[in-house]
Amino acid sequence: MFLNNVIIALRNLRKNKGFAVINISGLALGLTIFVFGSLLIKYEESHDLFFQNADRIYTIGSIAAPELNVGFERMDATFTTVGPIVEAELEDVERVARTVLREFLLSMGSESFYEGIRFADPDILRIFDFEYIHGNETALDDPSGILITDDVAIKYFGHTNVLGEVVTFDNEFDYHVAAIIKQVPLNSHFSSSLVQDEDLGFLVPITALNKMREWDLEGNWNNLSLGNMTYLLLDERFDRDWLQGQMNSLYDRLVPEDQTEVISGFTVSAISGANTAIWDLIGIPVIDAVQLLSFLILVIACVNYTNLATAQSLGRTREVGMRKTMGATQTQLLTQFLIESLVIATIAMIIAIAALEIIIPLFNNASSKILSLNYASTLPWLLATTILVGLFAGLYPAWLITKTSPIEALRDIARKGKKGAKMRSFMIGVQFAISAFMLATVSIVYMQNERIKESSYEFPRSEIYTIDRLRVEGIEENLDTLKVELEALPNVDVVAFSSQVPYEQNNSNSTFTPTPGDEAAEFSLMRLDMSPDFLRVYDIPVLTGRPLSRDMTNDIRTEESEVLNVLVNELALPILGYASATAAINQSFYTLDPESTLREFVIVGVVPTQNIVGLFNQEKAWFYEYVPAGLRIGSIRIKGGNIMDTVDAIEGVWNDVIPNYPIQGRFLDEVFNDVYDILRFMNMALAGFAFIALSLALIGLFGLAAFMAALRTKEIGVRKVLGASSAQIARLLVWQFSRPVLWALLVALPLAYFSSQIYLDFFADRINSRFAILLIAGLVSVLLAWATIAGHAIRIARANPIRALRYE
Amino acid sequence: MLKLHNMYKIYRTDEVETVALNGVNLEIEQGDFVAIMGPSGCGKSTLLNIVGMLDNPSEGEYFFFDEDVAPYSEAQRSKIRKQNIGFIFQSFNLIDELNVAENIELALLYHDMPASERKQRVAKVMDRMGIAHRAKHMPGQLSGGQQQRVAVARAVVGDQPLILADEPTGNLDSVHGQEVMELLRSLNKEGTTIVMVTHSPAHADYAHRTVNLFDGHVVTENTRAA
Repeated sequence: MFLNNVIIALRNLRKNKGFAVINISGLALGLTIFVFGSLLIKYEESHDLFFQNADRIYTIGSIAAPELNVGFERMDATFTTVGPIVEAELEDVERVARTVLREFLLSMGSESFYEGIRFADPDILRIFDFEYIHGNETALDDPSGILITDDVAIKYFGHTNVLGEVVTFDNEFDYHVAAIIKQVPLNSHFSSSLVQDEDLGFLVPITALNKMREWDLEGNWNNLSLGNMTYLLLDERFDRDWLQGQMNSLYDRLVPEDQTEVISGFTVSAISGANTAIWDLIGIPVIDAVQLLSFLILVIACVNYTNLATAQSLGRTREVGMRKTMGATQTQLLTQFLIESLVIATIAMIIAIAALEIIIPLFNNASSKILSLNYASTLPWLLATTILVGLFAGLYPAWLITKTSPIEALRDIARKGKKGAKMRSFMIGVQFAISAFMLATVSIVYMQNERIKESSYEFPRSEIYTIDRLRVEGIEENLDTLKVELEALPNVDVVAFSSQVPYEQNNSNSTFTPTPGDEAAEFSLMRLDMSPDFLRVYDIPVLTGRPLSRDMTNDIRTEESEVLNVLVNELALPILGYASATAAINQSFYTLDPESTLREFVIVGVVPTQNIVGLFNQEKAWFYEYVPAGLRIGSIRIKGGNIMDTVDAIEGVWNDVIPNYPIQGRFLDEVFNDVYDILRFMNMALAGFAFIALSLALIGLFGLAAFMAALRTKEIGVRKVLGASSAQIARLLVWQFSRPVLWALLVALPLAYFSSQIYLDFFADRINSRFAILLIAGLVSVLLAWATIAGHAIRIARANPIRALRYE
Repeated sequence: MLKLHNMYKIYRTDEVETVALNGVNLEIEQGDFVAIMGPSGCGKSTLLNIVGMLDNPSEGEYFFFDEDVAPYSEAQRSKIRKQNIGFIFQSFNLIDELNVAENIELALLYHDMPASERKQRVAKVMDRMGIAHRAKHMPGQLSGGQQQRVAVARAVVGDQPLILADEPTGNLDSVHGQEVMELLRSLNKEGTTIVMVTHSPAHADYAHRTVNLFDGHVVTENTRAA
């Protein structure tokens, strides 16, 4: 009996090849997306589990206080002093280790490179059991020993047998290799493509940072940097909730009051969450979104199948009637039809798996991930998915076709088109609701991204080449020479140095009072240190007053300055209490810090408000001061000419002036794209989902329209004989499917309105034409639906009526 | 074998009430061969459907082997039906996706019967109907007469004591029609009870008894010597 059912299923597929192709390919596509999405999520959420202590390792993160106004809420990092505090206060925590990420110029053998170095408490090796090639977990106990990975060893030496080799930091400090480990697998947060920090290549005792940069070993409450991790190893008796409770009480007891305006709490995450912390940081539920979207695609594919199968099964009423006449019960027939849909689901799943076997290696290559369809562990799940999809998709048509009494089934030809018509309309509505929802959401995300990109052009970002890491002995003293030499190049306009460039996600601000000592009226301004030419490089005009000058003593901030002339932007004026730019000129504001020599700041010029941090951030109030030395990053304005030649010339000048350090240069465009690429990637992924959803819905609609038109061939013939025009017939066919599509929009567009809010909330500068975008997206969905049906409808409507009548 | 007593079948829509059977009384003995005749819309097919338990009467009693099946549910009727009744239709109602042997086997599929026995019986009945060489053909590859032979084979393969034939020759030319009638006659001779709806007086002559229906009434009954 079972075999008999499978045979019938296969023969049915062969008989209706067109529908079989639509059915199976739609379902296969849905399954491919769903399985891929699920694998990806499982992959991202199961990082670091290969560490022996994985279930006992936790990271301490922070919740950004709302006052901080930095555009994100949760970060997987905290102040460097929290580690030592936990160690001192919580006896039950087995081990604590911090890592601090810093870049250094590293020399080993004959090679020198800038490297991201993790400075770590030695216990890090007792928390994570790395795979040692040479050395062991005591490597960092030696204050002059460092640990490197085999990849690093090969990069510098060409082999891994490098124990004891000397490593020089910044051409000055010598250490030696005390251990070599295997590169940490890609499915660890140490190497993940999701975590933006440098892959783990080096572990260096944190005391070295103290020696080289006078870094405070006990950490401090001053600096909260992403990439500074605090790892805890707990005893098996304790869990995350316990630790969270302990951290909450530590927060209440030990966080200094002024820091509560920076962080409003600590968070504790299992190590497996470290990989996806970036999404917590951004505050967009990416994992949930991928899960939901891939599930919705599968739903659309299932509904497609259900709909086509329902329509198609109407052609088999006679078979059902005959079988019932022979004594088949409804259960037996239900079984038969469900086996058919299981056969189709199985074929679709096999195609999906074949597709994934091709897609996954390509994806791994492009994304440096190591996803795999590990059949040993996924097979039960794949099977369950197949069965659920088969049952879910097949149940309704099976029930519909088998519930009729035999006499009706044998006779009922005239009315068969009506059977299940409401349900079919409803299901078309569901499909279009989902796909219009996705289309509308993706349109809003796209427009928002475009707006961010548009507004970023307020700086000439493609004409500015930045050179980073200038605050190093050996570079700092040569910056003036560098500037002169660079500006002598034919295509270089002007060069400036500053503490940050636009789009860098730094938020450094200072607190002031309008009159000396008036703490009640304190306010804070964002601070930019720069050389005076910064305004020229970035085309920033001085609206009122004058720019800063190298020739005026009070314009230049030095150790001895007591009064400093500064520029402020227009947005700072109301904060400072001035109604106009003119009123602010030559007025002062004062520092809050009683120990500072510099007490008074005098406004000598006002510049327009610009969004320097850009991207998600709102425009902020800034002041600009001239600091002659110790600036971190340079900006070179390039005018015309061949860009690549100019960059080569810049590098040439650098190598002449600063031969000991390689140049760290890139265009300002790339700085912008650091963050913008994340947004663009999300948009592309979303667009991919929307495209597939819409295509599936349209394919389903086409199949259904074709089938229903075939069922109505006789009716159409009669109508034509009675004088209906082709246009009237076409309209009749199109209208049959338009109502559910229109209903779908009424549901989808409001949903898209609310869901896009989640994305927009993330930005300070939001698009305000959301209604228009929604309406256009809705209109596009309807037009696509009409175009899909109309082509077929017109062909049928034009056919000779006699052919239509002869058909049955 | 079966007895209809004062049977009504009334189709109701919102506005119209159509009386298809209007107090029919009919008794059929085992081994009988009955032809039901009458003009279009007189209730022939309705009567046959009720006798075949494909449909319920609106009113009246239907004794099948002394059991009143009129109030039975579809599930109960289905059980009696598959044990006792084979069907032959005017439009054959073969399943296009199944070949000849499989179509015939279908009638046994819903009985508890091992596959080997099913195959045996199907082979036997195909031999008898002279369609063994067509076993692997699909219905679409057969002529109308051949299709109806398959349908007859399907109706008899289960050895049910009663065969209901709804205009079995209606879609056939006279030569093939006659062939089918000969088949039915031989079946009847072997003891199968046959009830047949037909428009053709010539084919009605094969029956022992003709029941004439008009507007839902039994008008006349003619009995012939066997």
